[in-house]
Amino acid sequence: MVTAQDFNNDFENKWCPGCGNFGILDSMKQSFANLGLAPKDVLLVAGIGQAAKTPHFLKCNVFHALHGRSLPVATGAKIANHNLTIVVNSGDGDCYGEGGSHFMNTVRRNLDITLLVHNNQVYGLTKGQASPTSPVGFVTKTQKNGVVMEPFNPLKIALTLGAGFVARGFSNNREHTTRLIEDGIRHKGISLIDIVQPCVTYNKVNTHGWYKKQVYDLYEANYVPDNFENAMTMAGEWEDRIPIGVYYQKEGPTFTDRIPKLTEGSLLSQQYNASNLDRHLSFG
Amino acid sequence: MDIDISVKVGGEAGQGIQTVGDLLASVCWKNGLYVTVVNDFESRIRGGHSFVQLRISSQPNLAPSDKVHILAALNPSTLELHKHEVTEGGLVLSDGKSSDEPGVLAIPFSKLAREAGGKIMTNTVVAGAILGLLGAPAETFEELLTQKFLRKSQEVLDNNLTAARAGMESVKDASFSGSFIWEKKDPVGPLITGNRAVALGAVAADCRFAAFYPMSPATGIMTELIDLSDDFPLVVEQVEDEIAAANMIIGASYSGVRAMTATSGGGFSLMVEALGLAGITETPILIVNAQRPGPATGLPTRTAQPDLQFSIWASQDEFPRFIFAPGSPAEAFDLTIKSLHLADKYQVPVLLLVDQYLNDSLFTIDRPLKAPDKIERFIATDEDLENPQAYERYALTDSGISPRALPCQGEALCIASGNEHTPDGHICEESPNRKIMFDKRNAKLPAMQQEIEPPLTYHEESDVLLVGWGSSMGAIREAVDLLRGQGKSVGCLHYTDLWPFPSEDSRQLLERAKRFIMVELNGSAQLGLLIRQQTGLSFDGSVLKYDGRPFLPSEIVEETLALIG
Repeated sequence: MVTAQDFNNDFENKWCPGCGNFGILDSMKQSFANLGLAPKDVLLVAGIGQAAKTPHFLKCNVFHALHGRSLPVATGAKIANHNLTIVVNSGDGDCYGEGGSHFMNTVRRNLDITLLVHNNQVYGLTKGQASPTSPVGFVTKTQKNGVVMEPFNPLKIALTLGAGFVARGFSNNREHTTRLIEDGIRHKGISLIDIVQPCVTYNKVNTHGWYKKQVYDLYEANYVPDNFENAMTMAGEWEDRIPIGVYYQKEGPTFTDRIPKLTEGSLLSQQYNASNLDRHLSFG
Repeated sequence: MDIDISVKVGGEAGQGIQTVGDLLASVCWKNGLYVTVVNDFESRIRGGHSFVQLRISSQPNLAPSDKVHILAALNPSTLELHKHEVTEGGLVLSDGKSSDEPGVLAIPFSKLAREAGGKIMTNTVVAGAILGLLGAPAETFEELLTQKFLRKSQEVLDNNLTAARAGMESVKDASFSGSFIWEKKDPVGPLITGNRAVALGAVAADCRFAAFYPMSPATGIMTELIDLSDDFPLVVEQVEDEIAAANMIIGASYSGVRAMTATSGGGFSLMVEALGLAGITETPILIVNAQRPGPATGLPTRTAQPDLQFSIWASQDEFPRFIFAPGSPAEAFDLTIKSLHLADKYQVPVLLLVDQYLNDSLFTIDRPLKAPDKIERFIATDEDLENPQAYERYALTDSGISPRALPCQGEALCIASGNEHTPDGHICEESPNRKIMFDKRNAKLPAMQQEIEPPLTYHEESDVLLVGWGSSMGAIREAVDLLRGQGKSVGCLHYTDLWPFPSEDSRQLLERAKRFIMVELNGSAQLGLLIRQQTGLSFDGSVLKYDGRPFLPSEIVEETLALIG
């Protein structure tokens, strides 16, 4: 039987002590184990940022790509072999900033992957600049008069573009996040799990304590995520309280389901018919 | 006697000029003649001025000519713009009732088309008239129309046959000195565009995934691939931008299928960071750059060779890559296969430089296209590995090439990273490791160099060598023939394999000549600069053209004579 420990590796972790990423890392290992997935069964794809380093800290197949470009890499990998279980680790800057267009287009494709966005509303790796999800007025060294753009609302955007699994987690609530990741991997199609997390170094507003007070659990409340309007309302909740759980779920054909060629098996495994080539090369 | 006739058909975009060119080319090709059909058009959907120029010869040709023997004008501006190009004894066909101008034959193309069933048949009437003047056999034309239109409906076919006969009939009393005897001969190679050749090469090499964002003049490659995709395990996707396209093919290749994209200079600029990602993650990919004049949007529908130096140094820092540039559709087919093969063999990105002239022109090639004997993938499975559990994606080897396993295909875990990494794929910033991994990647270069063919030679023992690369091969070789015809000791070198640069072969070939002259479609003789950098030999002059149009052999002759006297 696979256990969470099977995903441990000895690569030295350089995250700040107390970083929300640790909780997400543990939840990933546990959810894979709970689903009976072994390290060889999982492909982790990541962009750039502290979140995107997560795949290095657990034993799996890994493609650590460019800033913002994890989703196109995951899309290519999925087209080549749609039997792969792909989980993407990205951050609010990587996914919603640098990779914003890929985020929207991957949702439109309904690519069957699980997208974990570690959302701490600040840039960690480049040392504390505002991120796309930072609130208006958020003061940093590079936004000394505060952020002057409205924050990006990933859940509303994903819902609007037809995402079939839209969820929010809280990094420090490990059991809850584990369950979300399990449900996300089981869901056929794009599963967006925006995981809010404290940044112990650069975000002094949305701290561990602040989140603990804000969040309420939709699993506990036995919420049935089948109503789009309710989901949109929850996606707008932040100041008073933050729902964590699955806001909306609805299955539909995935990207690779819609490519007729792939009904014949994975692209990687298909047979090449040389006589077809001969026909195209003949002339006269 | 050798046949060498050029026909130009001009009109507005949307008038079906290209169809006339295709029909004429097919009739010539089916009778064993060689054709080069250049499509010259503006970046617009309707109106403007566009033309197709068809060169018909009994010997292989790969370049347009500056002499026009028949000019068919479907609009008045064609007459104004091109009448002066018509040679003595040539004919102008204009759409109309009558003309007093000498050398102008008025034929009521659109009226004849309407009588045959509709204005849409004008193309067929024009093609019929031109074929009539050339003395072409009506049967070949009718066979071709039957193939083309029978699948639409009998009515469409009958109307086209009527139009064709009306066109041929309309010139039966005209005398044209370029008319010749058509011998019944079978073609020795296909009639194809560079676009089709690259696409055929890709499927012949078992490329299974292509992602792209539409950009002239590269879109045609993808259109051809989509056309072929039903018969092969191939998925072609139009995606949100070129950045996504390049990163998607990296993901697909990492997962195990051969993958490519095609774009032009602007799109390639967007792909450059991903090119580096393929370099450091050692992921095989093919990027086809169909060059056009720039910078920025430049001239979208025109041709150029301005991206050689850019391709060699594209992306920050250094890593091994291959660069090839075919001189003909046959070479485009072969080099696409070679590119996908070498990308896999060395786990490197490969760039194939084509251009609008090669891509959009239609050529008869002088040999059949041959499929590779086998496809070697150079992929390691658990059975090939001594200890799959201890697999390292970037294991150090003498050749610099590490065994390449695929993700989720066995016990071997594939950890790839765009960060500098240790052999196991994990991030590492330490100084000794950085040097080890940099050297590991570059250790592939000596073997890669062995894969590179020396430049093709033609009369290379001459005093003067014209040196070029890519699609201007045909024009340069023809210029050599013309110059030798004038008693000049001139030969040429033609580069298709450009990187790693064949320095030793170049030095040996160039040192023999008294001087060498660069012939390139860019403003600074980029290959000449590369030769100087790699061999220390400096070119003695250059024939450069950067107006967005392909070389005419006569231009190269004229400018070479000015340089060598």
